[in-house]
Amino acid sequence: MKNFIELKNVVKTYVVGEQKFNALDGIDLSINIGELVVVLGPSGAGKSTLLNLLGGMDKATSGSIFIGEDDIAKFNDKELTRYRANDVGFIFQFYNVMPTLTVDENINLIKDVTNTSKDSKEVLKSVELEKHADKFPQELSGGEQQRVSIARAIMKNPKVLLCDEPTGALDSKTGVEVLKLLKKQSDSDTTVIIVTHNSLIADIADRIIKIKNGKVVSNEVNKHPKNIDEVKW
Amino acid sequence: MLKKKMFRDIRKNLSQFIAIFLMIMIGIMAYSGIKAYMDGMKKTSDKFYSENNLFDLNVVGPLTHNDLKTIKDIDNVKDAELKLSVNATTDKEKTLLLNFIESNNISKFYVLDGEKFNPNKSGIWLDNFYCEENNIDVGDTILVKYESMELHEKVLGKINVPDHLYDTRDSSELYPDRKDFGFAYMSTNEITEDYIKSLVMKEMNIKDEKVFDTIMLNFNYKDYIPYSSIMVDVKNKNKKYKVKNNIEDKVENAKAIINVEDTSSYVTYQGEIDEGKTYVGVFSGIFLFIAMLSIITTMTRVIKKERVQIGTLKALGFSNRKVLLHYIGYGFWISIFACITGLILGYYVIGNIFINLEMAFFEIPNGAPSMNISSYYVSLIVIGIVALIIYITGRNILKENPAETLRTKIPSIKGNILNITKKKFFKKFKFETIWNIRDILRNKMRTFMGLAGVVGCCTLIVCALGMLDSMNFFVKLQFEDLYNFDYKLNIKEDIKNNELQVLYDKYGTNTSKSLGIEIKDKNGKREANNIFVTDASNYVRFVDNKNRIKDKPNNKGIYVTYKLASTKGYKKGDIITWHIYGDNKYYKSKIIGFNKDPQNQNISMTRKYLESLGIKYKPDSLYTNIDLSNTKEIKNIETIQDIEKLKEGMAGMLSMMKTMLILIIGIAVILGGIIIYNLGILSYTEKEYQFATLKVLGFKDKQIKNIFIKQNNWIAIISIILGLPMGFYLTDWLFKTAIEEHYDFGAYITLRTYIISAIGTFIVSYLVSKFLARKVKKIDMVTSLKGNE
Repeated sequence: MKNFIELKNVVKTYVVGEQKFNALDGIDLSINIGELVVVLGPSGAGKSTLLNLLGGMDKATSGSIFIGEDDIAKFNDKELTRYRANDVGFIFQFYNVMPTLTVDENINLIKDVTNTSKDSKEVLKSVELEKHADKFPQELSGGEQQRVSIARAIMKNPKVLLCDEPTGALDSKTGVEVLKLLKKQSDSDTTVIIVTHNSLIADIADRIIKIKNGKVVSNEVNKHPKNIDEVKW
Repeated sequence: MLKKKMFRDIRKNLSQFIAIFLMIMIGIMAYSGIKAYMDGMKKTSDKFYSENNLFDLNVVGPLTHNDLKTIKDIDNVKDAELKLSVNATTDKEKTLLLNFIESNNISKFYVLDGEKFNPNKSGIWLDNFYCEENNIDVGDTILVKYESMELHEKVLGKINVPDHLYDTRDSSELYPDRKDFGFAYMSTNEITEDYIKSLVMKEMNIKDEKVFDTIMLNFNYKDYIPYSSIMVDVKNKNKKYKVKNNIEDKVENAKAIINVEDTSSYVTYQGEIDEGKTYVGVFSGIFLFIAMLSIITTMTRVIKKERVQIGTLKALGFSNRKVLLHYIGYGFWISIFACITGLILGYYVIGNIFINLEMAFFEIPNGAPSMNISSYYVSLIVIGIVALIIYITGRNILKENPAETLRTKIPSIKGNILNITKKKFFKKFKFETIWNIRDILRNKMRTFMGLAGVVGCCTLIVCALGMLDSMNFFVKLQFEDLYNFDYKLNIKEDIKNNELQVLYDKYGTNTSKSLGIEIKDKNGKREANNIFVTDASNYVRFVDNKNRIKDKPNNKGIYVTYKLASTKGYKKGDIITWHIYGDNKYYKSKIIGFNKDPQNQNISMTRKYLESLGIKYKPDSLYTNIDLSNTKEIKNIETIQDIEKLKEGMAGMLSMMKTMLILIIGIAVILGGIIIYNLGILSYTEKEYQFATLKVLGFKDKQIKNIFIKQNNWIAIISIILGLPMGFYLTDWLFKTAIEEHYDFGAYITLRTYIISAIGTFIVSYLVSKFLARKVKKIDMVTSLKGNE
C-alpha cells in the first residue's frame, strides 16, 4: 500500500481575542489508500480540526496536506469546493441530512455537484434504505438517518470518507450496523477516517492514530483488526 | 449582569435589532407624522376661524343698511357686517376679488405685514399670497379698476382672512391662481360717489346728471351702496338654523343664506382634512400593520433562538419572572427608543413637510403640525405588543423543564404538509425548486409575513403612483373631454341683450348659465344645489360613467350626475322639485338621464328645457375657440379664462400631491426594503446550517446563493401579483370614499405605473436578497455545523 494521505508539519492556529492557540501543533502523519483509520483523543485534542482540514472545510495555518498528489493546504476556495464535491464524503455525528428532502432526494442531491456519482438505487440498496426512499428524515430513526448520511457520502464515490463521531448519537446495535457500512467502503479502496472518543471502535481499525494537545502521540498499524460483530459498547 | 448580557446579545445580533428598531421607527414615524399633519391642519384652521371670528352665515343680497339693522335685531345674532364684493382688475390686468367693508369684526384680518383695518384710512389690504407672487410690499401703490372707478391705493397691509383660505375665480378653476387672482379689502369710504351716482342714475333711467341732482337733492351716496352680502356672527351656533329661517322671513332682499360650512373656502379646506383622515387611516395603518407583522415574526424567532440560554438561566436557578423580564427588556428598550425617534421624526419631518406643502396651497397663518394623543397610544400599543410577543414566546419555552430546554429543539416537519410535494408532478423540478417549495411549506408564517410586507409596500407604491395617474386622467377628462373649448368668457351680470348680441357676433353663441337652486325633498327638507343650463352645443360635453362622451342632451327634462343620483337615491323618471334662489316659484322636473361630472354633483338641462318652464335664459358664460391669447379685456366680460391656464393651475396642485406621494413611496420602499432584509436574515439564519452542509457536500457558493435568492424572488413575484390589483382597489377606494362629496372619480392607473411598481418592488427585493446572499461566501462550515449540533 502506498501513502495516500500525508500531512507534513501541519499547524492550525485559532486566534481568540488576543490569545492564540494551536489546535494542531505540527502534525505529521501518513495514511494508506483503502485503510480504515480511527483517530482517538480526548476532547480538545484536535481530532475534529484534523478532520476539517482533511475535508477541505478549513485551511491549515501552515504545513502540507497531500491527498494523492495534491497539496490541499495550498488550494484556494474554488479548488477546495471542487475537492469537497468530487473527492470527499462527510459523515456527521448528527447526520446533517436535509430535513425537507426525502431519503432519495438527499442522496440524489450529490448529482448537482459531481458528475461521477454512483447509481442512487444501488447506493440505497447498499445501505438498505430502499423501502424508505420516499420518506423524510424526520420519519426515520437515528440509525436510519445516519445511513442516509452515509449513502449521501458514498454516492459521490469519494476517495476519502471522513466521519466525525458517526456512532456518537446511536445505540450500540445501530452503531455496529453503521460501522459495517464504513468497513465495507474501506474494503472497496475508499480511505475511511473515523474520529471518535470511543476507543472500543479502534479495535476494528487498520490504523489507530492517537492525538493529544494538537500533536500525534501515536500512529500505529493494527495488525489484527477485530471483526465488527465482536465490538460492543 | 443580565443587563450586560442583554446589551451584548443586542450587539451580537445588531443587524436584526437595527431592523426591528427601523421598522418600529418608520411605522410610528409614518403614523404620527401623517396624524400630526392632519391634526395640525384641523387645529390651525380651528384657531384661525375662532380667533379671527369667521362668519356663521353669509346673506347674499343686494342688501342695505336697513337689512343690516333687521338682521342685527334678530334673536341670537351677535353681530353682522355689510360687504360689497366685486371682481376688479388691476393695472397689470390681474383680477382682484375686491371687498368694501365698514368694519372688520367678523372674518377679521390676520395682518402679516402692515396695519390693522381702519375704516377711516385710505388704502388697500391685500391678499398675502397675491402680494408674494407679484412682489408687492406694504407702502406700494396699486391701481384698481372697477366699472367707472379707478382707484390708486396704497397697500396698507398684507393679510389672511378666514373666509379666503382658498379662492378661485369660479368653479371651473380647480387650483387657485395666486399670481393673477387675489382678494383685497378696502373701506367703503373708498367707493366713489360718482360710481354710486351712475348706478342710481342707471337704475332710475336718468341720463342727465343735472336732472338727477335736482331730483335727488339730499343724495347721500353711502345710502345707495348696493352691498352684495351681510356676514352674520351667531351667538349660539347650535341654533344657527333658526337665525337663518328668521332672516329668510324678515329680509326680503336676501336671495340666499349660505352656511359657512357650504362656502367653497371652508368646504375645500375641510375636504382636505376629511381626505387626510382617510389617508391617515389607510397609509399609516398599512405602514404600521406591515411593520408589526415583521416585528412579531422577528421577535418570536429571536427569543426562540435564545432557547438554550433560557434553559441555562433556568438551570442556574433564575426565576421564570426574572428570565422573562430579562428578555422583555430586549424588545422593550428597542421599541421605546424606536417609538420616541419615530414620534420625533414623524412630527418634525413628516408633519412639517406635509403641513408646509398644504400651507403653500391654503392661505392660513401659523400652520403647524400637532402631535395627537393617539400617536402616543399607538406607540404604547406597539411597545406592549412587542413585550407581549416576547412574554408569550418566553413563557412557552419556560414551561418546559430545563433539561428539555437545554436541548436544541429540532424543527418539526409535518410530513403530511410536505407529502404533496412527493407527487409525480414535483419530480420534474430541480433540487433547489423542490427544496424551496418545502422550505416555504415548513415556514408558512415567515413566508406569509414576508408576503404581507412586500404586498403592502407594492400596494402603497401602486396606490401612490396611481393617485397621480388618476389625477392626470381627471385633468384630461375635465379639460379635454368635458371642456371642448379654448376660452371661457364670464359675462357680466348686467349685460343688455344688444351687448350680448355683439359678443355672439364676435365669439359665437355657445353659452351656458348656472342657477343657484334649492331642491325640496318629499319631507319638505330643502338643500342647496345648482343647475347647469347648456346652450353650448358640443363646447361643453357630457360623459357617461365609463367616461365615454354622450350624445347631446335632449330637451324633455333634467340630467342628474351619477354621484348625486346615488347619494339621493334618484332614479330615471323621478320628479325633482326645485326653485331658483330669490324666486319662490317651485318647478317639477323629470329625470331623463344621468351624466358623470368629476367635480360638480349637480343637475343639467338644456336652454330649451329651461325656457319651456317659462324661465328666461340669460347666459353667464360664453365658450369660444377664437384665439384670445393677446386679449386682456373684452367689453361686458368680467374674466377671460384660458383653458390652458386652468390646466397649468392643476399642475401646481399635482406637484404638491407629487411631493407628498413621493414621500409616501419613499417610506414604502425603505420599509419594504427593511422588511425584506429582516425576513431575509431570519430565513438565512434558519437555513445557514443546511447551506453549510451543502457547502461541505461540495456545492458552489453560486449554487447556494441561487437557492436563497430564488425563494425571495418567488415571494416578491407573488407579492407583486397580489399587490398590483390591491393597489388599484386601494386607490379606487380612496378616491371614492375619501374625497369630497362633490367630486366623482375613481382610480385610473396606467400600465406604466403597474410596470414601475412591479419592477421597483422586484428590484428592491432582489437587491436585498443579493446583498444577504453575500453571507453564503462567508459561511464558516465548521462553526455552522457545530452550532447546529
